[in-house]
Amino acid sequence: MRPILFIVAISVFLFSCKKGEIENYKEWGFEKPSHFPEPHYKFENNTQTYDRFDLGRELFYDPILSLDSTISCAKCHAQTHGFADHNVNFSLGVNNTVGKRNSPALSNLAWYPNFMWDGGINHIETFSFAPITNPLEMHETMSNVVAKLNASAHYKEKFKKAYGSETVTDQNLLKALAQFMSMMISADSKYDNYVLGKTTFTSAEENGLQLFRTHCASCHTEPLTSSFGFANNGIDSDFSADLGRGLVTQDPNDNGKFRIPSLRNVALTYPYMHDGRFFTLSQVLDHYSNGIVQSSTLDPSLGTGFNFSSQEKQDIITFLNTLTDQNYLANPFLAEKKK
Amino acid sequence: MLTLSGILYHNMKNLFISAALVVAALSVTSCKKDDNPTPTSTTGTVEINMAHRWGNSTTNFLLNMELVHPMTNDTMTFTTFKYYVSNIKFKKADGTWYIHPESYFLVDLSTSGSEILAVPNVPVGEYTDMEYTMGVDSLRNVSGAQSGALAVANNMFWSWNSGYIMVKAEGTSPNSGSGSFAFHLGGFMGTNNVVTTNSVNFTGNSLTVTGGKTTEVHMIVNPAKLWHSAATLATSSSIMMPGATAKTMATDFYSGITFDHLHE
Repeated sequence: MRPILFIVAISVFLFSCKKGEIENYKEWGFEKPSHFPEPHYKFENNTQTYDRFDLGRELFYDPILSLDSTISCAKCHAQTHGFADHNVNFSLGVNNTVGKRNSPALSNLAWYPNFMWDGGINHIETFSFAPITNPLEMHETMSNVVAKLNASAHYKEKFKKAYGSETVTDQNLLKALAQFMSMMISADSKYDNYVLGKTTFTSAEENGLQLFRTHCASCHTEPLTSSFGFANNGIDSDFSADLGRGLVTQDPNDNGKFRIPSLRNVALTYPYMHDGRFFTLSQVLDHYSNGIVQSSTLDPSLGTGFNFSSQEKQDIITFLNTLTDQNYLANPFLAEKKK
Repeated sequence: MLTLSGILYHNMKNLFISAALVVAALSVTSCKKDDNPTPTSTTGTVEINMAHRWGNSTTNFLLNMELVHPMTNDTMTFTTFKYYVSNIKFKKADGTWYIHPESYFLVDLSTSGSEILAVPNVPVGEYTDMEYTMGVDSLRNVSGAQSGALAVANNMFWSWNSGYIMVKAEGTSPNSGSGSFAFHLGGFMGTNNVVTTNSVNFTGNSLTVTGGKTTEVHMIVNPAKLWHSAATLATSSSIMMPGATAKTMATDFYSGITFDHLHE
């Protein structure tokens, strides 16, 4: 074969494999923030493309995923609130059924080794299966969602562009949602810019950061502000309402333990705790200061509480406000696409 | 001189050649691998036929049929019976193994034909042993969204506590307090791991794989074995997560699967 023909043949082969608007890749593609550790999810068997991300974004905002087409992922995960729910302790599902745990804020999901307040879900791709099928949430079956999407010429076209086949499968649905969720990267708050040496803190912020590093950062590990572990943070001594991590591990030593949540955008993700019992950061600081309830699984680092002064509480809250990432909350790539 | 039909014939022929070239080009540039190439003379197909019998009887086990358990005396009518078989391998007379790639099967008694596990592309030869896994290996329990037999839409994956339901047995019983029973058995980690590898020696016989032909391995599966050492339905009629009882039930069931005969 003459070289020129060979080159043409090779390029035809390459182009036939590439899908999507590759010219936009730089603007939205996954890029590890320089001060973050390596992500847990690396798009294994789900190579990142714009079309896959774009499909996942549309699905995230589409109530078609729920039984009666009333509830989308975004209903309980609002971008303006750091992808937490709006002001409610428990979110409402199909037919106004009430959930059992507070709808958590979503960010930096590619770094999570497992998901949910109890860590029961072991992969970002199987994560969405739970809210879609939970009777208290979207209350739908995967086969029904797949049938509805297969009946849509629009989605068939989008799935074909994203995954090469216009036949919608639950696997590709879950993978597309994982592509979108992996791109929920919050790394541009004042805190991040401070860590990167691009800005300075006020003395109150600086003092709050030092208090945070002394008392909180062993669980809320920087820079992701979570170790992704589980802890009993002393809000209860009777766990019969919700065993938390113990439900999954069946180990009584895990009863009353819940995910240590990330604090990114925490000023906007109220209410707080797995049951949304505290509506303000001030209540949360009061709890860690003087409200610790003793029990056998209480995290030892909490002791009998930190006995913060009111100035210390105020400085910690001032610091926590530096975790608000306006560019994340307003990122057009994470917002619902205008049709 | 060309006749009209001759011209048509010529044009048709050109069209066919062009079409053939396009098809050939497409297949060359296509990114998709052909998962199931047509068997050639160097490979054959092995079909593992799972025949379901209740207890030690010759009664076929069927859904929606009233059965009495030979040990617990519980009266049971199954509405669902599904389980996973995976990672099928065949051992050649020379000691080398043929390992079937992407080897995942969901046997579902409500889906006729699912009890036949077809393993294509097995190299021609004589095989003395077979190995298979009951359940889904731990890796696929932690590897994200899967397809085919492993798709979550099959309702054989726990949404809230990730992992495959490796055996699902549901039905009704007058002996259960609730009038029904539901056993979802799974677990792929630590002491609750139910995944079990079974091996079959063809006992002096050998499985002969012939080019382009299908050879059958007949197995007998006895769902009553689930209650070989488990309690009556009056005591326990539901399991929905991994644990010691799930492990006992699955292990008893798996160990009760027996090789029956070869059939060419």
